[in-house]
Amino acid sequence: MTAPAGARRGSRAPYLFVAPAVVLFVAFLAVPIGYAVYLSVRGLRLTGTGIFGTRQEVFVGLDNYARTLTDPEFWAGFGRLALYGLISVPLTLGLALLFALLLDYAGSRGRRFSRTAIFLPYAIPGVTASLLWGFMYLPSTSPFSFLTRELGLGEIPFLGAGGIYPSLANVAIWGGVGFNMIIIYTSLRGIPAELSDAARIDGASEWRIAWHVKIPLVAPALVLTGLFALIGTLQVYGEPTTLKPMTTEISQTWVPLMLIYRNAFLRDDLPLASAASVVLAAGTLAVSVVLLKLTQRRALGGMR
Amino acid sequence: MRIRGASGSIAALGMAALLAACSSGAGGGDSAATTPAAESGPVTLQFWCWGSGQKDKVAAFNKAHPDIQVQHTDVGGGTDTAAKLLTAGRAGNGPDAACLEYESLPAMIVAGALADISAHTGPIKDAFSPDVWTLTSFDGAVYGVPQDLGPMVFVYNRKRFDELKIEVPVTWQDFADVAAQVRKKDPEAYLATFAPAEFGNFAGLAQQAGASWWKVQGTTWSVGIADAPSLEVAGFWQGLIDKDLIKAQPLLTPEWNNQLNKGKILSWPSALWAPGVLYGIAEKQAGDWAIAPLPQWTAGDARVAFQGGSALAVTKNSKHVQAAATFAAWMNTDKTANDLQIAAGEYPASLAGQRATSTSEPPKLVGGQKDYWQVAAKAAQNTIPHISWGPNVGTASSAYQDAVAAAVRDKTPLADALKKTQQVVVDDMKATGFQVAGS
Amino acid sequence: MKAQLLPHQRAKILPTVVLLVGALYCLVPVAWVIVASTKSGAELFSTFTFAPGTGLLDNLRDLFAYGDGQFVRWAANSALYAGAGSAASTLISTLAGYGMAKYEFRGRGVLFYAILAGVLVPGMTLAIPQYLIMSELNLVGGYWSVLLPSLISPFGIYLARVYALSSVPDATLEAARIDGASEYRILGSIGLPMMVPGMVTIFMLHFVGTWNNFLLPYIMLSDQSKFPITVGLYTLLSQGSSEPALYGIAIVGAAVSVVPLIALLLFLQRFWRLDLLSGGLKG
Repeated sequence: MTAPAGARRGSRAPYLFVAPAVVLFVAFLAVPIGYAVYLSVRGLRLTGTGIFGTRQEVFVGLDNYARTLTDPEFWAGFGRLALYGLISVPLTLGLALLFALLLDYAGSRGRRFSRTAIFLPYAIPGVTASLLWGFMYLPSTSPFSFLTRELGLGEIPFLGAGGIYPSLANVAIWGGVGFNMIIIYTSLRGIPAELSDAARIDGASEWRIAWHVKIPLVAPALVLTGLFALIGTLQVYGEPTTLKPMTTEISQTWVPLMLIYRNAFLRDDLPLASAASVVLAAGTLAVSVVLLKLTQRRALGGMR
Repeated sequence: MRIRGASGSIAALGMAALLAACSSGAGGGDSAATTPAAESGPVTLQFWCWGSGQKDKVAAFNKAHPDIQVQHTDVGGGTDTAAKLLTAGRAGNGPDAACLEYESLPAMIVAGALADISAHTGPIKDAFSPDVWTLTSFDGAVYGVPQDLGPMVFVYNRKRFDELKIEVPVTWQDFADVAAQVRKKDPEAYLATFAPAEFGNFAGLAQQAGASWWKVQGTTWSVGIADAPSLEVAGFWQGLIDKDLIKAQPLLTPEWNNQLNKGKILSWPSALWAPGVLYGIAEKQAGDWAIAPLPQWTAGDARVAFQGGSALAVTKNSKHVQAAATFAAWMNTDKTANDLQIAAGEYPASLAGQRATSTSEPPKLVGGQKDYWQVAAKAAQNTIPHISWGPNVGTASSAYQDAVAAAVRDKTPLADALKKTQQVVVDDMKATGFQVAGS
Repeated sequence: MKAQLLPHQRAKILPTVVLLVGALYCLVPVAWVIVASTKSGAELFSTFTFAPGTGLLDNLRDLFAYGDGQFVRWAANSALYAGAGSAASTLISTLAGYGMAKYEFRGRGVLFYAILAGVLVPGMTLAIPQYLIMSELNLVGGYWSVLLPSLISPFGIYLARVYALSSVPDATLEAARIDGASEYRILGSIGLPMMVPGMVTIFMLHFVGTWNNFLLPYIMLSDQSKFPITVGLYTLLSQGSSEPALYGIAIVGAAVSVVPLIALLLFLQRFWRLDLLSGGLKG
């Protein structure tokens, strides 16, 4: 990436161009992050008299971090997240890649219809999507369990102990496949046709072409979608929250963000929630950086 | 939610004085007519509350009080309202008044979110029985006006009971026996549900058995979530779950609603607000249901606890505490308000409101039950006066829900779940700085 | 006709079948919400999932009558937050991305890494501090409390920068400079027009993100008349546990609210330049 050529030195223009973004960035991202860090070393402690007294905010040092890092539920949340991510991330990417390749393959029929249909769930808010799937999972309203019941196979325990991870992952896969598919598909379209044609003339099968020509060329898109999927996984909140009232399998602290929400709003402990937020944000950042380093693609268009 | 135009309010002023005088005479509330409204226009109050009857009550209040105009907002159910109120209170932009479930009042007081309105509630104190009044007064301060009550009752599908030829249980032992009969007579049906999220329900059942979850002496608290009566109640339900005599699953899910509609869930030991809730799910079963006194541990007893119910509190942020107190008083003591409340299926906290129920129609779900309001009144008279909620009910509730859900899922003892909850609650109180006895 | 298929026919059938299965998988829940919106409250829980009900008109009437036509209000609010917010955000992102791509200035490197970090921070962890900041500014509960934080989109800035790098040639800018055009004129007559396809993409991504956003407005707002559709439907659902009749309204509301978004997506699909998402990775 070359440095931009000859913009006039000392011009005020670039500063004016980035100024609105910088102001908003500071006001609504940097300051809140700083405030969260500040809050994370505060705590509400009892002062005053009366049977209840009142609670006052005081400095408590790293107390909240110690409590967060020693809370087995916090780590268990990451464990559940890992299991969930192990199902949802590879499947989302795998299906997105498969569909993208099929869309790119001239032999497929109904490509326009399929592309639109698979992309459609992207337009549906997570809260709504979870509700829709919730109804599909509950034994007495599920069309799938209806079929298996008719066949004498009993109900599918979508929301039972074994089913909860695949069921939740499915909601994410459903919502995410289309978007990722489009990203990979547009990448595939950018591959010069001569490359595939040359391979075809050499007698390579479509599968070989896909595997040896197309996939390596869309690898950058796969890294990007993988990164999005991973960040998305660490931020899972809406889906389990919406499904929670339907099953005993999902606790209030099922994933780290749910624990943070509980501490902040149900237990009224904003400082503790802030500490956990800081840990989670730092962790997300670290994971992303590690992933990018591992894939070594000078990804995200490094500055120089 | 429209703000009345200025000309309209001036024209209405004369009328206002008249109406306000009437209502304060009838309800015994703070005299609203004395506030001079001419120079600053009407006081506008923000009010947060859930429930289907609130809109009409607020409209009636606004009509009767041109000098106090209330804007009603529904920010969600009891838990959501309490959570939002805390956050908004901290940010200094909460409403002037809000409905709160009795159990969340202490947490709100500890957070410093509520105003003491004892200076304004003198005239209406006698509109409530002393036991009910203690629900909102702590240490001589008054943190709200009681609104509705949820004395616990046994709500059951009478038509299905008749079909299966089973009797309404009088004691909990009967309850267990009936549960077994139901399973035998209709293998797809269950007498009742044990729902891990129903913290308030279990608290009520434990309290009926003699448990005391929070107690304070001087400034020292003791926590009894895993005390002997509580563990006994847990053991009772454990036995029913283990023998598959009742169904352990969440309530009011589409799944549960569906089973209820099919007549596969025969009862809901809960409180007086339940018929209104069930009617929303199972309209078709209107008239099929009835209520009976909650089963007892000893035959002949009649005592029950409250489950749910709410008070109307004034917040510390409010710049119009007196106007808000007037509003809180009117909403719960005025005849119009009480009548609207009853029509919405609530059981009023005020004595006059409770008397008014005797001439009211029963809720639609239990439409066929002639003695509905008598049974209700009897339950209300026998509620346990001592209310023992602590300063961290939110923590207790969330810990209970997780521990009990895990116990049901992993088939570990409910008793252990209670002990775990107890530990979380005690640790939390100690961390905050409360003195906690024992443990 | 023999039952056996020639190889090239099989090569067409298998991919087509896989694609159609994928399409079906994605359409089933959408079909469900449309069928469910025709059911009355009782039918919802008592009839077969995909059996159409008889309550569509009642449900629609209830939906639009709920809270004096609040649903229309919510839809208008969503359109405001997503539409106005995304338009402003796209402009801000484009300016910043263009500035970062086409100029060298002090602090550019720091800004870039700050923006990159901003992309990776979970939104939920920011919502609470943002709320407290907004309340310091006395903006909580108003339209600005939802609009302002959504104006800054690190991801949008990142995309704009990638797009400016790849589609606005330095040579063209340099030529304009030699002709004596000011930097602002260059932006207006060369930079922005060249970036339009990228701006459409940034706008769409931001629009869908804001339209679907739940947590920020949920925390910021308490007045129902300012809710966007997501929060409105959620409150209907959560009240559904005490007033389950509202389930029906929530479901028909969900069905009605996804329709315009789907239409918009279908319409704008052809203008998308999603390759720009991966463009930045080609280095």
